[in-house]
Amino acid sequence: MLLQTKHLSKQFNGIYALRDINFSLEAGEVHGLVGENGAGKSTLIKILTGVYSLEEGEVLWNGQPVQLHTPVESRRIGISVIHQDRTLVPTFTGIENAYLGMAYPCKGGRVDWKEMRRRVSETAQALGIELDLNKMAAEMSPPQRTCLEIVRAMMNECKLLILDEPTASLTDKESELLFGIIDTLKSKGTAILYVTHRMDEIFRLTDRITIFKNGEMVETVWTKDTDKDSLIGKMTDNWSAETIASSRRMGEELLRAEHIQSKDGIVKDASLSVHAGEILGVFGLGGSGRTELLECIYGYRPMQGGQVMLKGKKEENLTPGKAIRKGLALISEDRRGKALIGNLAIRENVALSCLGDFAAGGVISGKKEREAVSAMVKRLQVKMASEEQRAIELSGGNQQKVVFAKTLMTHPQVFLCDEPTQAVDVMTRAEIHRLLREQADQGCGVVFMSSDLKEVMEIADRIQIISGGRSRELLENDGITSQQVLACCYHQ
Amino acid sequence: MKNMKKSLQAYGTLLALAIIILVFSILRPAAFFTVRNFINISRQISLMVIISIGATLVMSINEFDLSVGSMASLGGVMSALMAVNGLPLPLCFLLPILISLVIGWINGWIVAKFKVLSFITTLGMSTVLSGVIYRLTGGATVFQNIPKGFSWLGTFKIGEIPLLSVIMLAFVVLFGFIMRHTVLGRRLYAIGGNEETSKVAGINVPLYKNIAFALCAVLSCITGMLIASRVGSANTTAGDGYFLSSYAAVFIGCTVSKKGIPNVLGTLVGCAILGILTNGLTMLQMPTYMQDIITGAIIIFAVIMQKLGKGNAN
Repeated sequence: MLLQTKHLSKQFNGIYALRDINFSLEAGEVHGLVGENGAGKSTLIKILTGVYSLEEGEVLWNGQPVQLHTPVESRRIGISVIHQDRTLVPTFTGIENAYLGMAYPCKGGRVDWKEMRRRVSETAQALGIELDLNKMAAEMSPPQRTCLEIVRAMMNECKLLILDEPTASLTDKESELLFGIIDTLKSKGTAILYVTHRMDEIFRLTDRITIFKNGEMVETVWTKDTDKDSLIGKMTDNWSAETIASSRRMGEELLRAEHIQSKDGIVKDASLSVHAGEILGVFGLGGSGRTELLECIYGYRPMQGGQVMLKGKKEENLTPGKAIRKGLALISEDRRGKALIGNLAIRENVALSCLGDFAAGGVISGKKEREAVSAMVKRLQVKMASEEQRAIELSGGNQQKVVFAKTLMTHPQVFLCDEPTQAVDVMTRAEIHRLLREQADQGCGVVFMSSDLKEVMEIADRIQIISGGRSRELLENDGITSQQVLACCYHQ
Repeated sequence: MKNMKKSLQAYGTLLALAIIILVFSILRPAAFFTVRNFINISRQISLMVIISIGATLVMSINEFDLSVGSMASLGGVMSALMAVNGLPLPLCFLLPILISLVIGWINGWIVAKFKVLSFITTLGMSTVLSGVIYRLTGGATVFQNIPKGFSWLGTFKIGEIPLLSVIMLAFVVLFGFIMRHTVLGRRLYAIGGNEETSKVAGINVPLYKNIAFALCAVLSCITGMLIASRVGSANTTAGDGYFLSSYAAVFIGCTVSKKGIPNVLGTLVGCAILGILTNGLTMLQMPTYMQDIITGAIIIFAVIMQKLGKGNAN
């Protein structure tokens, strides 16, 4: 056995991200790792590559216990990882990138470029990879970069190569190229741990599959003995929300987005429609383009095609400013990066989008502003020392309340919420759910996006599936099960 | 202990100012600590204050404008040349302001549109402006045939108080108010705090960047024209020396704010510290190189303090 974990667990703030994992991997096998968002796949990879330290349990490498404290140590024993977001230096050539983190061969105190070139092209040739190694990484196409990363991984003797969603940014044709290389690696005896949401690839490539669920390992199965449906069944507790009052009446259509296509190609062809009075859940797996879709609708991310209609009226060239005036609001998933200004006071954050309401001739009435902000933070029960406190000093839940306060100040008709309960406490989470339901009952439309399927099924009236940058099924959340929802995500 | 550290952060700079004044007062009681000398200092720093307010605006959106010095030089040269060529005096001061507004707008437009470093953009603009100055003057100071009235702004006194000091005070009050109490000021600070959040919040970020750079250029230009008016001639590099000290003043000013952000009152304090140091050290007959060493050390110290004051925000 090449790799074995024994009773491996990992906690974050007292909550188990991984619990009692007994996982094993043979040399020369392609091993699939599947599970929902947050099942613990990434955590396991990070432990194996020395990013997270191991606290409970042990890792055996060729039968010997090993300590993996840093990525360097992990690489030294022969574990390499290729992430979906690549880790090349854009301005370095292929050769320089292949040598990242390794000692350069020297001759007489000078770098021996000839020797470097020889060794890198040797490695590439052995893998059947054709690549112009003198090109800068920035000039290479996505599959070329993936190839370069594989070359880099194989520069050292790599016994286990971990591929984390390697095809996320590749076209089908480019993926085929990668699969060929995987076959070559396998025939050379390198073990591969293949992590993906794509079922087709799992069945095409792997010998065995391990299923994770809620931080626990369900089981390892032989690929030839299983099929898609039973795999999906094992990835989720077949969970179904208590039926939400399905008699809820839906009002007029407030927002309709049709065939949205983002300029960067992440959103390929996605549509959605929100009515007054409803909470539309949007669910997609990591990398499905859900965040990008909302940003396109809101006018924040450049669009290539498609149209946005508000109350049946077509809107051209929406900008965030225009979107706000038309009654849209975006709660971004990236709280620190796109929703808060950490260094400014709570008052200044809350008033950010509605300064015009308190101003005459460009001059802000401090009194009006303070009154309005006070009323809003009181309504949302933000816990703080004073409204002049800097936003960064608040807890996650209270920061998110400040974001909601800012949003409510503009009286939006349609809420676009992207992971609105991410990293907030249980209490705040319930308050946010209640707040959004209230808004819907008062005639607003709410889009609720979360990577937590359970949460989406708890709160949504209908669920729109997004996968691979495209909108798929629209499900009534009426007695459906999590397994049905997941099946929609995986059957493309 | 923690409280002491906090109050030191908030009031340390003002304390330093008080200590500097105290030391000079003890060493040169008769010459330094007099009303007359303080009026004198207020005039000496007035030009630096106005140009530094410009730098404050640009720094509030987290950008740099390295062309403030050459913009000031150009302002002085343009206005002097117009006066020499017989344009009515009010126009000699108004037209350069309009031209600087356009130049600053171009700075902001390039920075916002192409998302390039303002550092490099304005360094380039600074060189362009120096070239323009040379084209206009041939490198010579403009001093012949300047009408008498041209010097009025820079030399007039209301009783004992120089008009320059009054103009400075007016700008401090005006821009202090703008930055604190208007939509414009709040949006500039928002952009400086987090550009992406500002965008999502519906703020037209490029527009406000243009405005900040344009106002900065205008204030630089005004400074340059006042320098020319004060000395009755326009030197081709008159404003260049103001570039470094204006940013020094803004950085010192950041330390006066609890949030560690650029602010007009703080900038005034920064200018006062630098101005009083120069004034006092000269009285002590300290050689210029020592003055440079002390001033430079204070600038470095202020930048470190500003970083500490910002704490762990973002």
